[in-house]
Amino acid sequence: MVPMTTTAVATGTPVVAFDQVSKVYGSVRAVDGLTLALHPGETVALLGPNGAGKSTTLDLLLGLKPADNGTVSVFGTSPREAIVAGRVGAMLQSGGLMDEVTVAELVKLGCALHPRPYQVSDVLARAGITQIADRKVNKLSGGQAQRVRFALATAGDSDLIVLDEPTTGMDVSARQAFWSTMREQAEQGRTVLFATHYLEEADAIADRVLVLHRGRLLADGTAAEIKAKAGARRVSFDLTGTIDEQALRALPFLTSIGVSGQTVRIQSSDADATVHALYGLGVYPRNLEVAGLGLEQAFVAITEAEEAKEATPS
Amino acid sequence: MNGLIKLELVRALRNRKFLFFSVMYPSVLFLIIAGNADSTEKIDGTGLTLPTYMMVSMASFGALTAVLMGNSERIAKERENGWVRQLRLTTLPGHGYVLAKTASAAVVSLPSIVVVFVVAAAVKDVRLDAWPWIALTAAIWAGSLVFAALGVAIGYLAGGDAVRPITMITYFVLSILGGLWMPTTTFPRWLQDIAKWLPTHAYAALGRAIEQSRAPAAQDIAILAVFFVLFAGGAAWLYRKDTLKA
Repeated sequence: MVPMTTTAVATGTPVVAFDQVSKVYGSVRAVDGLTLALHPGETVALLGPNGAGKSTTLDLLLGLKPADNGTVSVFGTSPREAIVAGRVGAMLQSGGLMDEVTVAELVKLGCALHPRPYQVSDVLARAGITQIADRKVNKLSGGQAQRVRFALATAGDSDLIVLDEPTTGMDVSARQAFWSTMREQAEQGRTVLFATHYLEEADAIADRVLVLHRGRLLADGTAAEIKAKAGARRVSFDLTGTIDEQALRALPFLTSIGVSGQTVRIQSSDADATVHALYGLGVYPRNLEVAGLGLEQAFVAITEAEEAKEATPS
Repeated sequence: MNGLIKLELVRALRNRKFLFFSVMYPSVLFLIIAGNADSTEKIDGTGLTLPTYMMVSMASFGALTAVLMGNSERIAKERENGWVRQLRLTTLPGHGYVLAKTASAAVVSLPSIVVVFVVAAAVKDVRLDAWPWIALTAAIWAGSLVFAALGVAIGYLAGGDAVRPITMITYFVLSILGGLWMPTTTFPRWLQDIAKWLPTHAYAALGRAIEQSRAPAAQDIAILAVFFVLFAGGAAWLYRKDTLKA
């Protein structure tokens, strides 16, 4: 089965619907007027730096915390009702495991608590923990514990799988194995929502990316769209003599410029074109460097763009 | 929920330290205290021999250990490590976790009562009719629910670091002042006046009334009932508070 993409027209009840949802801790608005809808079959990444409100968003989605404002619905019902109906499987960063029992015993419990459980041996195999099935839960490494959490999240036939930074503590090969398993889940028509702060992960796995910053939805689109938005590059170089800032400001695709002494720092949404035009000005830049923006900086870039947009009435 | 009860039980039965302290230790203590005691001499004002008297004390103490010690610490730790949160993502009803903990504690507390009885009967010739044996077991077993509720309340009240000292202090105060280790009649007057209001005192008094073939004092039943409402209500309130916070 081919996974549905975001371009597919969504019909019927959304899998998850947030309507003007807010959650405040003291003076911090962890989630601030969030409105979004997930549709059946989508694989969605919830992307944002630490503290962006990802975990709180997932807690609200799963009914672990009540919203201060707005409504959260899952399959048209409350989160709790959806969980009781066995429609949601979830793996939390903060989700602990029962100590002093074996992996197999714990997974068996997970299956017993699901209305449409899979075979314990299948769940163990899919999560790649058959070899450690007899090990005590409190003797596991961080990555192994993550896989046990994943097994609990996929112990039965759920329609939505929610994962909060699932690959934390896994090495590169475990990470790849994990995502290939996850893709199988998505290919069976499930909706998958995962939180991550790795842009690459969102890019490789998700067909839709939600960018969260300070509890607000900054961007919602395909991975390619987000990457283009966050894909700004930094260009820096030194110039000798007087710097004609006016001419530099007119460079194509330039989004910001800073001049300190003889050093010029530019952010550009198309560094190739900007550098090409720079040479066209007849100057001779030295120590030219072109570098990608880190995710944090990309978020700042997107945030600034959004705030500027809000400031100017359209 | 049965799955969780089963797994809690498996875990409890696998924990040798816990099993020793809840199932074996009360019998050992019984033998130490009653070991050299005369099986015919009566304790003043009770009409019971020391072994008969201590048998109820130690059975009550064993049940108290089984329901209080394991649960409070486990609940506090599992709240902290997030297992309680993980369970909230399953079909298990909200109170299912607490019920499973209480049920598995009750299963362990039964042998801790029975083992004391068997040891007392075999080693110290404690003899009762069939009916008091059954009534004793039932009363001590049912009464342990009061302390199971206390264990749950402590588990939701204390954090992972504080839970052990809080449990231990509660446990020793209740055991010793309640007269489970030695008759409260050996205490100074003022301490006796405090002790008689403790739930453990009423708990053991319940068992002794059965041994004396008389109806339990209304005051003892009332004390147990009030403490049960207090502990269970406190546990429920703390549980709800914790759920909103988690």
